[in-house]
Amino acid sequence: MNEKEETRLVRTVCPAHCGIDACGILAHVKGDRVVKVEPADFPNPRYRRICLRGLSSLDITYHPDRLKYPMKRVGERGEGKFERISWDQALDIIAEQFKDIASKHGWQALSWVLGGPGAGTTKFGAYLRLASLTQSTRVSAWGYGDAGLPCGSRVLLGTHTPYALLFGSIMGGESVPDMIIAWGTNPGEAQPLNIMRPIMNAKEKGALLVVIDPRFTVTASKADEYLGVKPGTDAALALGMMQVIFQKELQDAAFIKRHTVGPYLVRTDTGKFLRGKDMGVKDSQDYVIWDSNSDSPKVRSESGVESSILGTYTVNGLECKPSFQLLKDLADDYPPERASVITGVSSDIITRLAEKIGTSEKTVFVTNMGFTRTFHGDISMRALGTVAAATGNITATFRAGHRPAVLNWKPFLHADTSKPSYSRLGILQLYDAVISGKPFPIKAVWFAFVNFLNQCAHSSKIANEMFPKLDFIVATELFMTPTARYADILLPVCSYLEFSDFIPFPHPYVQLQQKVIEPLHECRSDVDIANGLAQRLGFGEYFDKGEDGFIDLILDSGDSSMEGITREKLKQGPMTLNPIPDMGQEIDIPFSTPSGKIELYSEGLREVGQALPVQLDPLETPLKPEGKKYPLSFIQGHTRFRTHSMFANVSALLELNPEPVAEINPQDAKERNISDNDMVTVFNDRGKTTLRARVTEGVRPQVVNISEGWWLDQFKEGSVNHLTHDVINPVQEAIYEPNMHMNDVAVEVVKYEEVEG
Amino acid sequence: MKKRLGLVIDQERCIGCEACTVACKLENNSNGHCIRVETQNVAQKDTPEGRFPELKMDFMPRLCNHCADPPCVDSCPVEALVKREDGAVVLDQEKCDGCQLCVEACPFDAILYSGEKEKVEKCNLCVHRVDQGLEPFCVICCEGQAMHFGDMDDPSSTVSKLVAAREAFQLKPEAKTGPSVYYCPPKERRRF
Repeated sequence: MNEKEETRLVRTVCPAHCGIDACGILAHVKGDRVVKVEPADFPNPRYRRICLRGLSSLDITYHPDRLKYPMKRVGERGEGKFERISWDQALDIIAEQFKDIASKHGWQALSWVLGGPGAGTTKFGAYLRLASLTQSTRVSAWGYGDAGLPCGSRVLLGTHTPYALLFGSIMGGESVPDMIIAWGTNPGEAQPLNIMRPIMNAKEKGALLVVIDPRFTVTASKADEYLGVKPGTDAALALGMMQVIFQKELQDAAFIKRHTVGPYLVRTDTGKFLRGKDMGVKDSQDYVIWDSNSDSPKVRSESGVESSILGTYTVNGLECKPSFQLLKDLADDYPPERASVITGVSSDIITRLAEKIGTSEKTVFVTNMGFTRTFHGDISMRALGTVAAATGNITATFRAGHRPAVLNWKPFLHADTSKPSYSRLGILQLYDAVISGKPFPIKAVWFAFVNFLNQCAHSSKIANEMFPKLDFIVATELFMTPTARYADILLPVCSYLEFSDFIPFPHPYVQLQQKVIEPLHECRSDVDIANGLAQRLGFGEYFDKGEDGFIDLILDSGDSSMEGITREKLKQGPMTLNPIPDMGQEIDIPFSTPSGKIELYSEGLREVGQALPVQLDPLETPLKPEGKKYPLSFIQGHTRFRTHSMFANVSALLELNPEPVAEINPQDAKERNISDNDMVTVFNDRGKTTLRARVTEGVRPQVVNISEGWWLDQFKEGSVNHLTHDVINPVQEAIYEPNMHMNDVAVEVVKYEEVEG
Repeated sequence: MKKRLGLVIDQERCIGCEACTVACKLENNSNGHCIRVETQNVAQKDTPEGRFPELKMDFMPRLCNHCADPPCVDSCPVEALVKREDGAVVLDQEKCDGCQLCVEACPFDAILYSGEKEKVEKCNLCVHRVDQGLEPFCVICCEGQAMHFGDMDDPSSTVSKLVAAREAFQLKPEAKTGPSVYYCPPKERRRF
């Protein structure tokens, strides 16, 4: 058939920021138009996959509302009035403004506010390179809600994310655990392909599934047991389980001794680890254990010792306990009955889950960002990881296999090594930098792949206090988003089908996102845009090889994982990373913590009282709501209809999910005379939002959920982030970067008419 | 060759994502949704039944059942609906005059009227793909890998084996239309 012959097939990748599934996409092209996308093949057919958003992605490329040419603001910021200008005009204005601001305030006052680049690398790299060369300021995206998990993971495991160590074993489908616990995460909706499929495969082969979540999610609907925990109480739940495990001596003592700081003695007077020098070994900083063979203290490097993890000992007149004993002492304060009162989960199920973990051969803990978006979410992560470590359920040895790709990021992070590189701010630190000039003033922002006003905490503060303080705002965007309306210069970017990028996912594959069609309208790729500006700032030589040049540069790490992988070969399809061959024996993974072990006890956090995963009250979530002005706990789950704020304007998805809803339990709805589908106002002292109520048993009583990512103008008024706060947790700031606590917010809900009346 | 092509939908693996709904519309350029995912026993989709925390939520994608004895075919005055040798019940939209007798005849509410087209729409089991040796588009796009396609009359097919192993059921057996779409019920929860 003639129609058939005219269709060209191009393999590319959907790089949306959805948990980096990086689905391979086979694009069907007729003439210069993509007419269809379908899931592309992989060497392992298990990876052939697509989701409802990927299927709808043509609606983004060919959306009538695409920004089509560069524009200059002519109305007030936020008003959305712009006039068309040329690319040369736009880039000239930006270069001039940047130079002017830099001459007054220094280059540091210019900031690159980059969102999640999804699976992409070069568009992110291009701006980092420009930030590095101009010695301006890179604003990290982790604090959008994703910094709590790294804070916890860094302390406990010394890794930025704990995924591979916690649940890497089920991803390939090779091993089937007795039980999977999905804790504070909803992969059934947020990561259906990458994570939910392996969970369901394991379940099919006999694994039990337990889900811990304040919402009865799609994932929970597949669970054998569901624990509807109160937001912000996960550490108490973990401690309650540990109390049972330790009482019944179900911990994995061998694992604790070999892979954790559990046996290391801690001075009870200072909370510091006892060191060799404390017991008289000259200058020794080595950790000390209590050897039960000789009934004496030994430095850990000594051989032939049998360490104790329980007990109280005296060394050189100093009272000491193994850090595991301190953990046990803490857990002893949380018998299931007490944990039940705090968490809202029955003591019976806490006990039985704990016993099940303690007696199972292998339990896998699956987790993600959701439950870490509370004020002490980093501790929630550590608490979960501590249960896993104490029962030997963390991967701590390695024999052979695939490491993540090692990419050549250096030329982007530090392009000219003869000069300093960029300064760094976390996203929550940007607020103060703009508003009060601390720790240094920021006068201009460049927003790329980010819908900042929509997605960041405390919208009214951003719009009323932050944006007016900025001398200059640039945004690269596909659409006139709520953020784009505030730009002084607005630049139209390509959709994923219009540019090339290197995609180091899904593990163990790497892929090429091939340009399928030429950029539509006057759109340009982020790499192209960065190049245009670099030319004007005198750094053209670092950018003139375009996207392909950057892809080659990223591939060129020289690491064995990437050997033989080239852009040309990747055009044919995904390639597998080079594995590390079988070493013949298992080696202990060296954890990048101060001790090199899993730190059940963090010496560095003793002064703030967080050496152990303690239960601390959330900042706002009302654990005792009675009599409170704002008695309801507000959270923002993820939905399958969007990837954050992407896809919110796609008609194929709006047909299925037309408007935002506030999910509220029937018990709370009844008390407020709210029926399903009523318009309601959710509010607190910071702001309010009005939308339809969904009265459902799917959220626990005293919890209200609105899925994140709806655009401001899709609400009757306000938005989710009119309710959230920008309070910084200083402990997280010290560990890595402060997080936004979208799931630690107190609100009240009323029927809409009542407010108006 | 005479076959009974159909689908087995595993409710244990269906996560209610509606990728099938989106995929079907994209592949077949339909106005309506020829596959619709129902959240069972509740008024609002994506909400559970029961009382917190004792809850349950199951999904059921609904579409044409490609019946052995399809009442829609009998009802069509212009022979726009045909039962093929391979079992698919297909609609020839060219012939359809929009009378909607089939909409009433179908016991499964699987035929939709498009006011825009002034014709009906239904699942054609992607016969344009099946004739090329491919599976229906919804099947390859299913996020949960819950949809299986094959010949129900071939005892060695994956679908037949699933029907046997999982005690799969048909909808409305009392209508005696012989559906070729089967559902594997969700497995019982294994409480501690």
